[in-house]
Amino acid sequence: MQALSSLRENKLRTVLSVIGITVGIAAVMVVGTVSEGVNKYIYAELDTYGLETIWIYRKWDDENPFRTARKGSGIDNDDLNSMRSCCPSVRRVTPVVYADDDSIQMRSKGKFSNVNLEGVGIHYLEINHDRVTTGRDFRKNDIQRRKPVAIIGTRVSDELFGKHTNPLRRVIRWGDIRLTVIGVLEFESRDILTQLGADDYDVNKRVLIPYTLYQQQFGVKDIHTLQAEAISVDKIEDAARELTDLLSRRHNNHYEYVDESMKGWIETAEDILGNISLVGLIAASISLFVGGLGIMNIMGTSVVERTREIGIRKALGAYRRDILAQFLMEATVVSVVGGVLGMVLGILAGYSIGYLSGYELGISWSTAFIAMIISIMVGIASGYIPAHRASKLKPVDALRYE
Amino acid sequence: MIQLCNVFKSYQRGNSRVNVLHDVSLGIESGEFVAIMGPSGSGKSTLLNILGCLDTADSGDYLFNGESVMMANEDELATIRNRSLGFVFQSFNLIPRIDAKRNVELPMVYAGVNQEVRNNRALAALKIVGLEDRAHHIPAHLSGGQQQRVAIARAIVNDPDIIIADEPTGALDSKSSHEIMKIFQQLQAAGKTIVMVTHENEIAKYAQRIINVDDGKIRTS
Repeated sequence: MQALSSLRENKLRTVLSVIGITVGIAAVMVVGTVSEGVNKYIYAELDTYGLETIWIYRKWDDENPFRTARKGSGIDNDDLNSMRSCCPSVRRVTPVVYADDDSIQMRSKGKFSNVNLEGVGIHYLEINHDRVTTGRDFRKNDIQRRKPVAIIGTRVSDELFGKHTNPLRRVIRWGDIRLTVIGVLEFESRDILTQLGADDYDVNKRVLIPYTLYQQQFGVKDIHTLQAEAISVDKIEDAARELTDLLSRRHNNHYEYVDESMKGWIETAEDILGNISLVGLIAASISLFVGGLGIMNIMGTSVVERTREIGIRKALGAYRRDILAQFLMEATVVSVVGGVLGMVLGILAGYSIGYLSGYELGISWSTAFIAMIISIMVGIASGYIPAHRASKLKPVDALRYE
Repeated sequence: MIQLCNVFKSYQRGNSRVNVLHDVSLGIESGEFVAIMGPSGSGKSTLLNILGCLDTADSGDYLFNGESVMMANEDELATIRNRSLGFVFQSFNLIPRIDAKRNVELPMVYAGVNQEVRNNRALAALKIVGLEDRAHHIPAHLSGGQQQRVAIARAIVNDPDIIIADEPTGALDSKSSHEIMKIFQQLQAAGKTIVMVTHENEIAKYAQRIINVDDGKIRTS
């Protein structure tokens, strides 16, 4: 009660210190919301590759000059069959064959699209966490019989058939070949990773065909890349080792192999996120610190201004703890009000940033809770020194103060 | 009731120590109305502050109700001020932003009295000083004499033994001054001990006994 009346008495000062805390807490909230939101998006994007996915391909820049001369990718169709039995950490594999050079042009009724053509196996969609929105996945029969069928990305579909046409069972021309569309891939967003420079490959411009058909058309027997899925995230390294060991053995150590997984990307993403959060947190801490200084200054002035009042209260029998409690109460009220306003402001700012950037950022309630605790702690800590000084004043000295 | 024995008090002022009280001994009986007089700088205010437990002596002994308060800590002194002493100051010393009744309630807040009892006792005390109809006025809306009467109500609300008054009429006109002194006489009649500092002979006449302080020493007249 005492605390409230004196805060009301000094409105401007109270408002200023509340603003200090408000800005600090809002900053903490924004940092928390943004980094949590970005985190969520990056993980969602990483998941579009499949977090358990491993890519295996030949190491081309070989240190051994004799091996560099050797032709071929070091992976062939026979390798695929032997993998099923002897790699316990691998759930499934798919071959991926693709052109090294620029994208391939496809057409349909006078319209063109430059696509990323990939010859794939039966588990490709599952391993890549791809889904078909309409149509179906490849069947064993499609692969074995080299059927001229294709599953296409949404951008390819839009460019060749327009947004409002169902592309199923329509025909795409690729040179002399007529490919029948059997499915359309679900749209996948990799905006953040693309912006971070992680990937310049457009997943939505893929045209997937049976790898057997691809090999036939290009007259090759090689498989460029083997894509595999480990049985769990922590078995990725085991799975990669099992596969490369098998390949080396089968090809008499004629080739060296490289294995890649999302692990490196996850670490990179976490590094970036950590840096973003750290910078944000430093900025937020600075503003909270300034807010705390504001409270300290305001409480300090308040103590000086009310020295006489402290003397009166002591003369009337106030204990030190009564004076301490009164001033701490003021600091607490200021910081709680500032904290609540900061939370509201932070939530609004979070929504605005989400709205403006087009990303849906959830409110980080854990950050809100931490911010609230921090604001109360900052308030009490900043109020303590002036309050302590006030409580220590000798009544006779305080009363003499003009 | 009060016994000061060989009390010394000095202050550091700049580089030199100033002896304010020099070997002061003094006794005040229960129910007495005592005026302490003396020129400014004589040490009379310091003497009153020591008697009121607002300040402590450097040496000597102070017996309050037969018990020494020389070794008492901050909180024990606060308890004595709260329960056994009531203060009336020259500049009233009311808290400006709360009304008369809540000012009067303050000593009871620190004594831990509950809200309902506080309310009743505050109104009763305001009635004694004739201000029950001004209970909800803030100090700025009261005259000087009225403010001093609120301060007296505050001083007596915890039913203390002794009222310590430091120039209680110093900021008042003579009509108000005499009203205040009449209230003091009534309080004395009701059994309170009153110790008052004043430099006005007119006011000192209301007291039964006058103690003259000069240059830090008591001169019995």
